[in-house]
Amino acid sequence: MPDHLTLEVVDKDGAIREALDPVRSSSRLGFLKRAVVAGGTIAAGGVIIGGLPKLAVGAPSPAQDAEILKFALTLEYLEAAFYTEAVAMGALSGETLAFARVVGAHERAHVAFLKKALGSKAQKSPTFDFKGTTEDQGKFQATAILLEDTGVAAYNGQGPNLTKPTLAAAGSIVSVEARHAAWIRDIVGKNPAPVAFDPAKTKAQILAAVNSTGFITG
Amino acid sequence: MSELLTLDEVDRDGAIRETMDAIADDSRAGFLKKSMLATGGIVGGGALLAAMASPAQAATANDVSILNFALTLEYLEAEFYTEAVAMGALSGEVLDFARIVAQHERAHVAFLKKALGTAAVPKPSFNFRGTTENQAKFKATAQVLEDTGVKAYAGQAPLIDSNAILAAALSIHSIEARHASWIRHINGVPPAPNAFDPAATKQRILAAVAATKFITGTPAMTASGGSPAFTG
Repeated sequence: MPDHLTLEVVDKDGAIREALDPVRSSSRLGFLKRAVVAGGTIAAGGVIIGGLPKLAVGAPSPAQDAEILKFALTLEYLEAAFYTEAVAMGALSGETLAFARVVGAHERAHVAFLKKALGSKAQKSPTFDFKGTTEDQGKFQATAILLEDTGVAAYNGQGPNLTKPTLAAAGSIVSVEARHAAWIRDIVGKNPAPVAFDPAKTKAQILAAVNSTGFITG
Repeated sequence: MSELLTLDEVDRDGAIRETMDAIADDSRAGFLKKSMLATGGIVGGGALLAAMASPAQAATANDVSILNFALTLEYLEAEFYTEAVAMGALSGEVLDFARIVAQHERAHVAFLKKALGTAAVPKPSFNFRGTTENQAKFKATAQVLEDTGVKAYAGQAPLIDSNAILAAALSIHSIEARHASWIRHINGVPPAPNAFDPAATKQRILAAVAATKFITGTPAMTASGGSPAFTG
């Protein structure tokens, strides 16, 4: 079962589908229909999401590992592209530039690792628009903090769903993302470790956070 | 199950957590004034503890052993940082680091002790051999301790039986990585030296800890026959 929201999950008694047919309009319902037709999912964050049952994942299995690694690969593609573009744009300097170079190399290595682990199951990279955050040092720093903290929460959220060998691999990556997060936080003068226990987030929560950036364009 | 409300129960859509993250996510100076949030009490550890407290899922002997291994390392770190702050040889960002990390490690100790209940190993006695009394020695030792903690949790995570205990271990593991990165940054060495962090076995970790000679023995019993309580 996909671990994101589809119309089937939201619309158990068909009331929404009834309301959407046959009208394609510029109303909110029309928007919903276009969103559903376009992607089959509804981005989390709106009131329609509240009160849904927790989406279940199954016991760890190689097939489930692959789904989770594809999810991880999406995040790593995003990070790798962000850092690579930021270095190329030339707006970074000093230690922030050094950070972007080192971390970009790490994220590219994570992409390569996950692609190799997935083999033919690996999806292609999405396309991105980083909306100016790679072209301004302050925006870059804030975005890097968000991306790294999100990466930690994502990996920690999926850990218990993985088979043990894959968990070991994920464990070797999540601590590096945490190091990245602490590093960029210290660069800008924020607390590198704001809480005693790093929060985990579900895939749905992570996808909602990523969707809200608008960075993924296709 | 804890009688106290956990954050999970009151914060279904994460709005409170987001707000608290924003509050905790201050500059270091602001953070030190808000140390209640930093200790990760009911907010940080409560939900994790609740998840572990289900009567249907008594911890396996394997998991008890792993938690006690973690507890021993956390006792050591908590004592090291608490003593270093008290000794007064630290200043500037190093002192900020020690204060914040001490709070975290004490929270980890409290969490693990509560999770283990009567199965918790008692706190050992320590002698930090001057490393808490000199800023340069403190910095070098902290870096080793934090990097070691990352390796230790990474090595144990795949061995844990319980999902709830694994979730808790992962939430601590990445914090130790943040600590490691921070002190490395302070020390002027690469905060993230590798794209993939290596894990280490319990055997290797215990050998490394023994080589420091920081642990000097198991605690003396109190007059009443009980173990001394950890008061850090």
